[in-house]
Amino acid sequence: MNRGGATAGGPYLLTGATGFLGSHVMAGLLKKGEGVVVVGRRAGGESLAERIRRLLEWFGIEHLQERLELHEADFREPRLGLRPDEYELLRRRALPIIHCASDTRFAEKNREAVMAANVGSLAGILDLARGGPARCFHFISSAYAAGSDGAECREIPVHSRNFNNVYEESKALAESAVLAFCRQHGVAHTIIRPAIVYGDARTGRSLKFNALYHPVRSLLQLRDIYLADLGKNRGKKSAACGVRLLKDGRLHLPLRICIPNEGKINLVPVDYFTAATLAILDGPENGAIYHVASRRPAAMAQLTAFSARFLGLSGIEVIHGAAPAAETRNPPEELFDYFIRPYRPYISDRRVFLRENTDRATGAMDPPDFDYDVFRRCMEYAVAADWGRKLFSIPGGQGEKEGKRDKGVER
Amino acid sequence: MTDVLKTAKNCRHYAMCKIDFLGSGLCRSGEERHYVSFYPQGRMDLYAALAENRVPVTPQCVEIAESCDLCGRCDYPCYFVTEMKPSAVMKALKEHVRRYLESGGEVLAPEKDGILDGMKGIVGDGWATNDRAIAVTYADDPCPAAAPRLPAYVVMPDSSAEISALVKFLNRHGIPYAVRGNGSSVMGFVMSEGAVIDLGRMKTIDFDEKNWLVKVGAGVAAFDLQKAVVARGYRVNVAEPSALVCANIMCSGIFSTFSASYGTAADNYVDAEFVGPDGGVFRLSDPAAPNLFGFRREDAALPGICASAAIRLHAVTADESAVFVPFTSLAGALDFSRECAMRRIGLAIGVLGGEYISTFLSPTAKLADQVKSAFRDKLKIAFLVLVIGDAHALRAVREMGYHGFDSRLMRILNLGLPSLTSAGWLDLIGELEEEEPFSYLGLAHFADLAEAALAPSPAQLAAAVDPELRPFFEEIYARPEMTDPVWLNMFRIVSARMGREKHVVAMIVYLPIDNRLIAEIDAEFRRIAGRHGLKNDFGFITPLDNGKRCVFEYDYYLDQNDEEEKDRMRQAMMEAGMMIGKFAAETGTVTWIRHVFRQGFCRKECFLYQGAGVSE
Repeated sequence: MNRGGATAGGPYLLTGATGFLGSHVMAGLLKKGEGVVVVGRRAGGESLAERIRRLLEWFGIEHLQERLELHEADFREPRLGLRPDEYELLRRRALPIIHCASDTRFAEKNREAVMAANVGSLAGILDLARGGPARCFHFISSAYAAGSDGAECREIPVHSRNFNNVYEESKALAESAVLAFCRQHGVAHTIIRPAIVYGDARTGRSLKFNALYHPVRSLLQLRDIYLADLGKNRGKKSAACGVRLLKDGRLHLPLRICIPNEGKINLVPVDYFTAATLAILDGPENGAIYHVASRRPAAMAQLTAFSARFLGLSGIEVIHGAAPAAETRNPPEELFDYFIRPYRPYISDRRVFLRENTDRATGAMDPPDFDYDVFRRCMEYAVAADWGRKLFSIPGGQGEKEGKRDKGVER
Repeated sequence: MTDVLKTAKNCRHYAMCKIDFLGSGLCRSGEERHYVSFYPQGRMDLYAALAENRVPVTPQCVEIAESCDLCGRCDYPCYFVTEMKPSAVMKALKEHVRRYLESGGEVLAPEKDGILDGMKGIVGDGWATNDRAIAVTYADDPCPAAAPRLPAYVVMPDSSAEISALVKFLNRHGIPYAVRGNGSSVMGFVMSEGAVIDLGRMKTIDFDEKNWLVKVGAGVAAFDLQKAVVARGYRVNVAEPSALVCANIMCSGIFSTFSASYGTAADNYVDAEFVGPDGGVFRLSDPAAPNLFGFRREDAALPGICASAAIRLHAVTADESAVFVPFTSLAGALDFSRECAMRRIGLAIGVLGGEYISTFLSPTAKLADQVKSAFRDKLKIAFLVLVIGDAHALRAVREMGYHGFDSRLMRILNLGLPSLTSAGWLDLIGELEEEEPFSYLGLAHFADLAEAALAPSPAQLAAAVDPELRPFFEEIYARPEMTDPVWLNMFRIVSARMGREKHVVAMIVYLPIDNRLIAEIDAEFRRIAGRHGLKNDFGFITPLDNGKRCVFEYDYYLDQNDEEEKDRMRQAMMEAGMMIGKFAAETGTVTWIRHVFRQGFCRKECFLYQGAGVSE
């Protein structure tokens, strides 16, 4: 398929293949029979090959390794840190590029690093796309690059200058840079903007446990803190803030989650993101922007109810409006608020992501409803994976059954 | 080697059994007889010497063994620091001597000795001896750079007049001597084949509050002085608790985290009484006295024997407290400590390695090891800056934008240490660190949450120690001062835990708080130790002279009974010395403590700043 100069079909050159989204795109392409040329970095003393090997094992697709070609790179260096001949050869192969690599940190103190990773390093990657008429540059951005000043977000270039954090800002800047470069050099391109991506809705499996997982994990930790107090300290601290064990075994944990308005959390499972992205890659429209987002986003109240049920808690309330004065908050409220601070903009979000292009590319494929079963599967897997620390040691290969119950979950 | 002999040979000579820092009481015979031989430290050395046939059974050997009543109280301080229980050695010593005597073994009486009689004439019969059972306990220390030397005599004068007479006597008879206060001995300075003059009987503490002074005899240990001073509402700047105050000034000038405001070397005293090498007595305040305020940048000879010193008293306010501000890098910690020092914020300032909490606060090595990763890996604490100050100083720290572990939180962490290893919430906090390091410390209720999660209690912490000692440890951990960072830094009773697993050899350098220079020297210390396979770690840094300079301690560790490791340590020490010398020559601002040894009464300016007021 070729629309407006964009060409479908691989092999694809992929960056960010060791990340959450990139790895799923890699696995999706490999399973589809496509070849993938991975350009990525070593990290934590591990080579790119070792990192990819572990991921293939996690996906249960070691047998597809032969469809992979690896190039260990450093995006901060000229020519991505590749040898001149290696870089030149890659460039000449005119592969369609999927640029997934990204620094997803939100804090302002990381501005320099985030900007360098998400914007500064673009030049070397874009340069790979210069020259051949057949290539297409697919940029995996974020729905939140749209900025924070509009309720209705269309699949058009970013106009906002207001962002919730440096990550959003960097993605917006990167989109502009990609568009400008591709227009200047006649490179076909697409921008794919996912909303908040969580684990596989069918299996619960995930490689990353931030965003959706973070509030749940925070509540679990709070629950365990007060269970420890009740168990080892005769509940001295629990009593002071009204925490007690109920007859039905649940823990009553008075905790007000204050959000400015009802808003929503726009969640899509990673299996949906992958399917949608592969569909877009199958029929890319040059210059199109795609919102891979939910039409029916979840509400914080729903997520809170799921969390309370899963963790065996009562007393958690969602309150809309201004946050209470700091001095009136109890210790669990303060700690919970601290834990979820980076995610605050996303749990009472009024933005609606229109998805005309995505519907066209995916045949109006919708993500599954975010119901309790999906939630439970994902959280059981997260607990079994110890929120990522035991990710690669969970027994069960592709993990259809590995979501084992941990202490006191869903009492 | 039996376990008992192993314990005996591993006595670190930190002398913590000679101060009653746990309130459990001292060895009664030690308090009566004063020779180190009558303290657990000396009995450990004596037992090792007997077991290895290095000394015969002598009359005083029998007396030393029999004077131990096996009360077991020596286990408390020794276990607190090293996890060793010396009472097993005490029992073995008594048993060894009993069996020897029962088997008809000869008690070898020392020969008649006119020199000894002469010394006894000066100090009294009980205070001079040539008995080898006494001498062997003065023959060695864990310093790898000094070989053991068995003294012919040990003599314990009680006044400057007696010291003077002794020095003249020894000079007359051409007998070399070494002087010690009978505190800790780890530097190899206090051994002699001639006589060891032990000043341990000179324990006078006389207050002159009108002049903010306390006159201290040469046998007074830092802990005992601080205790007496605190009882009157003051503080003094002293070093390790078992170190003798006068000897410590002489040796290296006193430096501690309080040196950030109280200074070091001549800053700590107003006057001192000396017996010179010729036996003449002089006071430093006498205009005709030898100039010990000056400094020569070279190895120095002993300028005399300090018999007493008039130490400065410092005011204490009721609102003093502490905060430990964590950092992910040494540079950040140095910047903060320098800023505090330059702005004169805080009384005590110390940049500490991230393992400070785990090593110093854990009662056992096992617990220290378990909680180490909680601090290092979960909380991402690489360095901590301790600031002790009044309410104004600590408010200034907060206003500078820094949050830290305050005294309450430190108490919670200390008493809840065992729970830290399983605290899942630390993982979450650790992950948020990426975004905003240590911002959790700014939460108003963080201490409440930590208290709920860790369920801190003396019983919980005491559960980590040997079951036999748990009741005692539970009782001591219930005392507020045992978890109060201000008290702990004044009395320094936990810093000796650095040597819990191996003896510590401290490398000490004075230099500007120059991040790059410090990082380079730190890396060189690390590289040298690594090359010789020695355990090593950053010790601490304290600003001096309002942040213009600092004292930097880097620690090397060795098994004091491993000859091969001692060889490697000697080599490493030599290379470290050359490295410091190179930096000193290149920068003109680096000074090695080796040159301060025996010149500790000098003005700090003389060794901190090359050129000004320095007698070359």
